[in-house]
Amino acid sequence: MSVEEPEMAMAVEQIAIQVRPRVDPTPDLDAVGQTVPSMDAAIDVQHLNAYYGAKQAVRDVTFTARQRAVTAIIGPSGSGKSTVLRSLNRMLEVVPSARIEGQILFHGIDIYGREIDPAAVRRTIGMVFQQPNPFPTMSIYDNVVAAARFNGLVKGRAQSDELVERSLRQAALWDEVKDSLAKSGASLSGGQQQRLCIARALAVNPEAILMDEPCSALDPIATLQIEQLARDLAQSYAILIVTHNMQQAARVSDDTVFMSVDEQRAGYVVEIGPTSRIFTNPLNKTTEDYITGRFG
Amino acid sequence: MFAEQVLRSTGRGRRGRERLVMILCLLAGAISILPLGLVLFYLLVEGLKAWSPAFLVSPPGGGITTTGGGAANAIVGTLMMTGLGLLIATPTGLAVALYTAEYREGRLAIIVRTAVDLVAGIPSIVIGLFVYSVVVLTMHHFSGLAGAIALSLIMLPIIARTSEEMFKIVPRRMREGTMALAMPRWRAITSVYIPTVASGIMTGIVLAVSRAVGETAPLLFTALGSSFVVTDLNRPMSALPLYMFQNALNIGFPAARERAWAAALTLVAIVLVFNVLGRWLASRTGTRLK
Repeated sequence: MSVEEPEMAMAVEQIAIQVRPRVDPTPDLDAVGQTVPSMDAAIDVQHLNAYYGAKQAVRDVTFTARQRAVTAIIGPSGSGKSTVLRSLNRMLEVVPSARIEGQILFHGIDIYGREIDPAAVRRTIGMVFQQPNPFPTMSIYDNVVAAARFNGLVKGRAQSDELVERSLRQAALWDEVKDSLAKSGASLSGGQQQRLCIARALAVNPEAILMDEPCSALDPIATLQIEQLARDLAQSYAILIVTHNMQQAARVSDDTVFMSVDEQRAGYVVEIGPTSRIFTNPLNKTTEDYITGRFG
Repeated sequence: MFAEQVLRSTGRGRRGRERLVMILCLLAGAISILPLGLVLFYLLVEGLKAWSPAFLVSPPGGGITTTGGGAANAIVGTLMMTGLGLLIATPTGLAVALYTAEYREGRLAIIVRTAVDLVAGIPSIVIGLFVYSVVVLTMHHFSGLAGAIALSLIMLPIIARTSEEMFKIVPRRMREGTMALAMPRWRAITSVYIPTVASGIMTGIVLAVSRAVGETAPLLFTALGSSFVVTDLNRPMSALPLYMFQNALNIGFPAARERAWAAALTLVAIVLVFNVLGRWLASRTGTRLK
């Protein structure tokens, strides 16, 4: 599996007219645990509160996701993992009643800033969903290239061909589909569909990829392939992965954000730290109970 | 033992009831198919008396007492007016459906949807009267165009509502996929949603045509009818239902009565051909909604 260095086409500039000088976010975490080094932060989440209508779903979440690293968000059902993830590329606001407070910085830029176009945020911070969702009426080729073409990233056959091959290679799918690019995206197996979705996300030239339980619909072999892919992609991208599978988090991630749910049924961060430490030496009793399988 | 009791008890009573329900279902199915079968049987027996290939291509000839003469005028009129009506109703209906399903923010969408439902509920003769007062009186003459407009008003709500229902079943994860890729909404609609539900939209179109092609009332005061084979939409036109109506009025004359039956057979054949064609087209669009 080879990951080619993606052209980092100044994606940061895509999302902001004006790049503000980056304020070093000395994260004053009230959660226990050591914080990840903030020097190479890709995404800074500062005091994020999320609501669905009047119901608070996520309470005061603060953490940092590093560049070129895999950050896992783990926790029991209802702890707001997906809500946090979806607020990071402004997919949460698609839900009519959803609302957030707090700040989310991408390389120092407030992605909820007034001049920021949500579509540009989503292009810069790609997303892969729980259920593989290739466009069923499009060929494999078109699945990869359609969004890039609609966004004016590629023109003409040659550029499209190149993008399709590069994206599919990055997603470790090229060798399996290179002879059947005209086939429907729905003709692939579940694991292949998920890798197609990753290729599709890579094709619009993002800088970070959010994965929302990307393996929960896949068999163990396909799961391992996606995990390996996440590791490979972390050489070039910031990867955030939501999972309720702790072994997966342990296998795939560099840093772990552990969330739990309080009495008001709002999710909050219990502990943040390097995955190796969280899983071997959790500082918080709740974390320990969860990773040893005593609850959740 | 309890387990033994359970294992041995499942037999006869349940299977008997199962069979009874199945027989009742079959019976109900047969009863509902029976009228359709009888209609088709009658249609074939009566319709074939005056039907011949020449019937399709000949203009009406002679009087009500003489045999012979065809329905070419009516067939041409039906095809032209239904075709033009469809050309008007499909893009309009699709646009209405997109508005009510995809751009539904605000109260206007509810008003539009209610209006579409109201139009669907208007008796077709009232639609004919409406087009008469708006188009025919304005143009000062009956015309195929007025007939086509009346038919398009019959088809529009059917296409709009079925298409809207189709857009509503576009899965959320597919919508999220297009949004996460920052696809412009109109691009998502044209290149993802419409192809995905194309077969459903096609079914709506087929339903609409099947309905419109058999309508008589909206054509009575719009297209009026004509004994000549007319291709000019600016002139009065015949249509198969009108042809049937006019011939069937002369109930005492067997020749006219037989022509009405032959026209009915032709009409049903056209509907059938269009249905098969539409289904074939729909299956070719290859919708795969899991």
